[in-house]
Amino acid sequence: MKVTVLYVGSSLLAPLKNAEREINRQHGLDLSVATWNFGASFTEEEWRAIEGDLRAAQILFVIHVMDSENATRLLSFLDRSGDRHRAIVVINCMPELMKRTRMGKLDFERLPGISSRKGAKTQSNAKGQSGEGATAQASQAEKATGLLRSVGSWIGRQARGNGGTNGQSKGHGRAQYLKFTNHLPSVLRFIPGAGALRDVKNYLMMFCYFLQPTPANIRSMLLYALKHYVDDERVGKIKIPPPESMPAVAIYHPDAPALFESFASYETWYKKRGSKFKDQSSKINRKPLNPNSTIGLLLMRPQIVSNARKHYDGLIRAIEAEGLSVIPAISTLMDNREACGKFFIETKSKARRPKSDGRHSKASDNGQLTTDSKPRVSQIVSLTGFSFVGGPAMNDSEAAAEFLTRLNVPFRSMVSLDTQTIESWQESFSGLNPIQTGMQIAIPEIDGATEPFVFGGIPARGVEPAPLEDRCRRIARRLKRWHRLQTGPRDQLKLALTLYCFPPNKGNIGTAADLDVFASLFDVLNRIKQEGYRVEVPESVDALREMLLGGNSEGLGTTANVASRMGVDEYRRLCPFISEIEAEWGPAPGAINSFGGDLLIQGITIGNVFIGVQPTFGFEDDPMRLLMAKGGTPHHGFAAFYTYLEKVFQADVVVHVGTHGALEFMPGKQVGLSDACWPDRLIGELPNVYIYSVNNPSEGTIAKRRSYAGLISYLTPPIENAGLYQGLASLKEMIGNYRRATVETDREQLFAAIQQHSRELNFSLSETEEIALGARTSRPHRLGGETVSSS
Amino acid sequence: MVVADTIHSKIVNMPDIQTNQLMDPRAESRADPLERDRRVLDLYEQLLEIEQRLIPTGLHVFGRASELSEKADLLRMVASFDRPEHGARALPKLVAEALGIDRYDALLQEASASETRDLIDSIVSEAVRQFCEDGADAAVKWLNSRAGVDCEKSLPVFLLLANIAEQLDSNHEIESLMRALRGEYITPGPGADIVQNPSVLPTGRNTHAINPYAVPSQMAFARAQGTADALLRRYFEEHGRYPRAMALVLWGLDNIKTQGEGVAQALHLLGVRPVRDALNRATEIEVIPLDELKRPRIDVVMTVSGIFRDLFAPTMALLDKAVRRVAALDEPFDMNYVRRNVLEKIEVDGGEFDDAVARVFSNAPGNYGTNVNFMVMQSAWETGDTLGDLFVTRKCFAYTRDSKGRTIEGREARDLMDHALSRVEATYQNIDSFEVGITDVDHYFEYLGGISKAVEKRAQARPAIYLSDSLSPQTKIRSLEETIRLETRAKTLNPKWYEGMLKHGFRGVAEIENHVFNTFGWSATADAVDPWIYTDIAKTFLLDSTMFNRLQELNPYSVRSLTQRLLEAHDRGYWNPDEEILEKLRDLVDNLEDQLEGVV
Repeated sequence: MKVTVLYVGSSLLAPLKNAEREINRQHGLDLSVATWNFGASFTEEEWRAIEGDLRAAQILFVIHVMDSENATRLLSFLDRSGDRHRAIVVINCMPELMKRTRMGKLDFERLPGISSRKGAKTQSNAKGQSGEGATAQASQAEKATGLLRSVGSWIGRQARGNGGTNGQSKGHGRAQYLKFTNHLPSVLRFIPGAGALRDVKNYLMMFCYFLQPTPANIRSMLLYALKHYVDDERVGKIKIPPPESMPAVAIYHPDAPALFESFASYETWYKKRGSKFKDQSSKINRKPLNPNSTIGLLLMRPQIVSNARKHYDGLIRAIEAEGLSVIPAISTLMDNREACGKFFIETKSKARRPKSDGRHSKASDNGQLTTDSKPRVSQIVSLTGFSFVGGPAMNDSEAAAEFLTRLNVPFRSMVSLDTQTIESWQESFSGLNPIQTGMQIAIPEIDGATEPFVFGGIPARGVEPAPLEDRCRRIARRLKRWHRLQTGPRDQLKLALTLYCFPPNKGNIGTAADLDVFASLFDVLNRIKQEGYRVEVPESVDALREMLLGGNSEGLGTTANVASRMGVDEYRRLCPFISEIEAEWGPAPGAINSFGGDLLIQGITIGNVFIGVQPTFGFEDDPMRLLMAKGGTPHHGFAAFYTYLEKVFQADVVVHVGTHGALEFMPGKQVGLSDACWPDRLIGELPNVYIYSVNNPSEGTIAKRRSYAGLISYLTPPIENAGLYQGLASLKEMIGNYRRATVETDREQLFAAIQQHSRELNFSLSETEEIALGARTSRPHRLGGETVSSS
Repeated sequence: MVVADTIHSKIVNMPDIQTNQLMDPRAESRADPLERDRRVLDLYEQLLEIEQRLIPTGLHVFGRASELSEKADLLRMVASFDRPEHGARALPKLVAEALGIDRYDALLQEASASETRDLIDSIVSEAVRQFCEDGADAAVKWLNSRAGVDCEKSLPVFLLLANIAEQLDSNHEIESLMRALRGEYITPGPGADIVQNPSVLPTGRNTHAINPYAVPSQMAFARAQGTADALLRRYFEEHGRYPRAMALVLWGLDNIKTQGEGVAQALHLLGVRPVRDALNRATEIEVIPLDELKRPRIDVVMTVSGIFRDLFAPTMALLDKAVRRVAALDEPFDMNYVRRNVLEKIEVDGGEFDDAVARVFSNAPGNYGTNVNFMVMQSAWETGDTLGDLFVTRKCFAYTRDSKGRTIEGREARDLMDHALSRVEATYQNIDSFEVGITDVDHYFEYLGGISKAVEKRAQARPAIYLSDSLSPQTKIRSLEETIRLETRAKTLNPKWYEGMLKHGFRGVAEIENHVFNTFGWSATADAVDPWIYTDIAKTFLLDSTMFNRLQELNPYSVRSLTQRLLEAHDRGYWNPDEEILEKLRDLVDNLEDQLEGVV
């Protein structure tokens, strides 16, 4: 017997494969479960294999499929294949697919309300009436089909609610989800398993199993389908356990024996565990769960429940290895505010109250921040890959930003490879594929998420997610660096401010769109001094500029003062990528930003502040490079600059001043960078803050994704009407006179004067004519061209 | 074809098309009073266009409140758009309605200044002036008594303006920077011109892009139809037929800010519209039938920036899908230029449909930019073809599916791009901003100029080059030459602009030099700069000794670059001024070099 499952995500594959094995072992069956991750795009060859599996399957599950390309193809296959399958079970897919559910007498297409608003309304009516004297049976039937409609149209309604101004629709998905998980099993008990409602009940049962995708439940879901829709006496007798239930929100830790339903129980366990580690590693946090050094993680519930969580474990351990504590909370996926409120926020009143099991929510459990509440975490890292409020099919970014603004801890969103394998990501020039980029990078960004790393995925030959060790380490170390910025003594923190100079000549030092860089810099320096950072502020804007422009620059032939000379030996020792750069640019130090065998770091150091000038791409010294279709590596000078910031000056943070520099445009993947990508290598572990023009969201986003920058927008310059000046103003006056003149001879004279004056302004009437005539008169245009040109 | 002919004749007979009278060489000498009036009015229109154009008048200093002394111009422009998200309608529309003037939109499109439009403009200006002086209530009352505008209708407009004015008077940028340095959360916010989206205020936020699946929005598509039609109308007026193919430049910048107007323009030229799937994502397209479209489908070659490629991958797939769908339609060649060009290519060169239909081109994955700007900057090119070829070298990566149905993440396809460009007769880019114009940054000439140069060689004719002004209540299509003149007059040569820059001293001089360089870039890539522009630049900044001394004092390095650039314009034959001017410029460079080298 054969079941085919089309799914999206990384949590289902392992439980499905496990279920196949277990079912065959326990019940002596010959079940084969074919699985396809429908989030990916397929080749024709793969489609042929998919269609083979579709044809051979007695039962077909379609789960979480949202991509229209693959769905379209699947729909057309289903159209062609007729009633081949015993059952088609579609769960949480786009509405067109939902309608294809066919089980016995149940046909979603004939079920009114699956994809329209009306249906949702009907459902609530049905509920309203159920208590009003209808017979128990009719009420059950209504309740059951009402639920079915609700389950079937859930995703569609969420999508329609997206971006709507209707506040009700926004909270809908979450409430619905909780209702399903909490109440569905108990409601189902009263629905008869035979008769007209048999298939309705069956669908809802399988949905129940699916909602809590533990390995046992996934096994039960498959068995349930086999038992009811495959004619085989071997399965008919199998007893299937009721759905296992897991808490909707909880704290997970890889070392803990079970989930924690309250922070208090987690805290007790965590501290006890911490004491055991004391002598093992000096890096382990001495003050476990100190809010200043605790990272709140948001995990996807299905991954935890399905036991597909090795990638989470990898990241958690990497963070703990940096001496930080963690609170890894599993969230309901629809609205992370609940898990945050419950686990990441401490309210005074609550602390005094006896410990509750967390079931009955307090104000803070709903994510409400009150004046006497404070965060238990100093940074939040979402591993869900979805919007903070709203889940996969919608996003309420306004609510997210409002919540996070009040909580006021940085929010990062990391991505696990759900629709491509680790290998395909590694090999890809683009990195993360467009589907995930759209949904899991672009949308969390609107919530204010920064530093989008890929941290895990499923290897081509595996079934379970695995962590990407080096990415996890980089994430963890960057969190640690931000932790230092949050907690380190101000007068010891080192700040690097990076300016540009483009095109590279002295006149252009401080290049930035619409920004007076030196005046801005001067104000910033004064302010950071006030804040307690150690900086020696020059006496004026001009003095500051002179320091950069002058100094030793003339002697060294550089555009700006040289703050440091990095010998090739030092560069070789500190920059691990040197051999790749040498392969492209020749032996270090090379011709750019170098002098007397040293690499030159341009800038000035004033106290704990380094103001540097970012090197350019380096084309000016080697025009032939312009002709290359693809770039390979930055030049030695560029690599040396960032090596200096991180390893010699040992900056705690770099601020890029103004729109825009070259770092984020260095070669590498587009998004979801690896350790082979240059922006990732160059920025390393250094926190990056980027002062960026508010009217340039596009290039700013590249900086955000490729150099892990947090943007601080700046206002564009004042804008006013151009007005008229000099000759143009007098021309307008003459025209006014002409229009007012009534005597024909006056008008003739004025016209002649206008003509004369407008010609002097190179603004003659002939120009007006040219505008009217266009290129036809001003330039010969080839009118033929019906033959294909030979070039 | 009968259909085509009817459509052509319809367009030719459209009343708003210029008649031939202006082409008559005798017109001027004849001095027919009506014709004379018409000419003066045309000139007047052009002056108004310059006068009312919004320009930046300085630079921003991070953390400081806007130095805008006069907010009225900006606020008036903000108020001239419908703002459904603020429940506010365009003020001119409200005034027009109250005065019983219908068709205000049509009025905007009219070529000549009309008294009605002047009247509406003057009422709006006065209302905004009143607002600036006495606040929202005063303005609302005045509008009601002067034009009978419903107070309830105008109030939301002035509340919005009040909010903007307040935001401009305060600034939290430095505070945000300090928050970031302390490792706090930075609230996200949209990115755009203030006029486009006043919600960009307050600044000091973490600017974000948009959901690519939301592109193009319905509003963007509606606006794009008007723009694309105006573009075709303009080409038709000038050439008597439609372009066989057009090359469009698509950037992430304007498509984020306009929710995809550039994308929507491309779709409309092809004669398709986007369709939303059940999850409200623009992932499908629908063909607009020819009898509804009433014109041929235009072949469109899309060169997208590396940034667009990164931000709008699903949109690239949508565009590719649109071209494929159109190319596969069973329609006559003279109504479907895509199909004609694709099938002709297959017939002549052989090859596969999947290759012949490639129209979406960008950089190699992980690479950005055309390098044309760098080459111009370094004066490192021989002939224009060098620049056009460089553009193709950098941009010839096709983002489409192959014959196996696989999405290829950018395969080098120089031949395909060469061929697609060989059919192009017009190039175009959507401009969405007052803040960033075509001489403000080098990216416009590297893209639109670069592709135009590439087309010139491959199609063996210089294409007509157009730009639109999409951030404007009325849709304007201008030729590149017109746009350069307008930008030069409104900005580079305008004391209001350069004095604003010079308030910022050193950096201001660099900005002026930068504008001259970007203007020069249009000569290099598109031969589109009138010689008088260089002459006036020289006169304004270098030959006027008072001005020259000021600039030299502030930033001699940039003055040297500026002077050298003008001399290069002469050397390359873009400008042939009096020998006297050249002599003077050469002297200036010599003196500057002595001064700067002498420092050693």
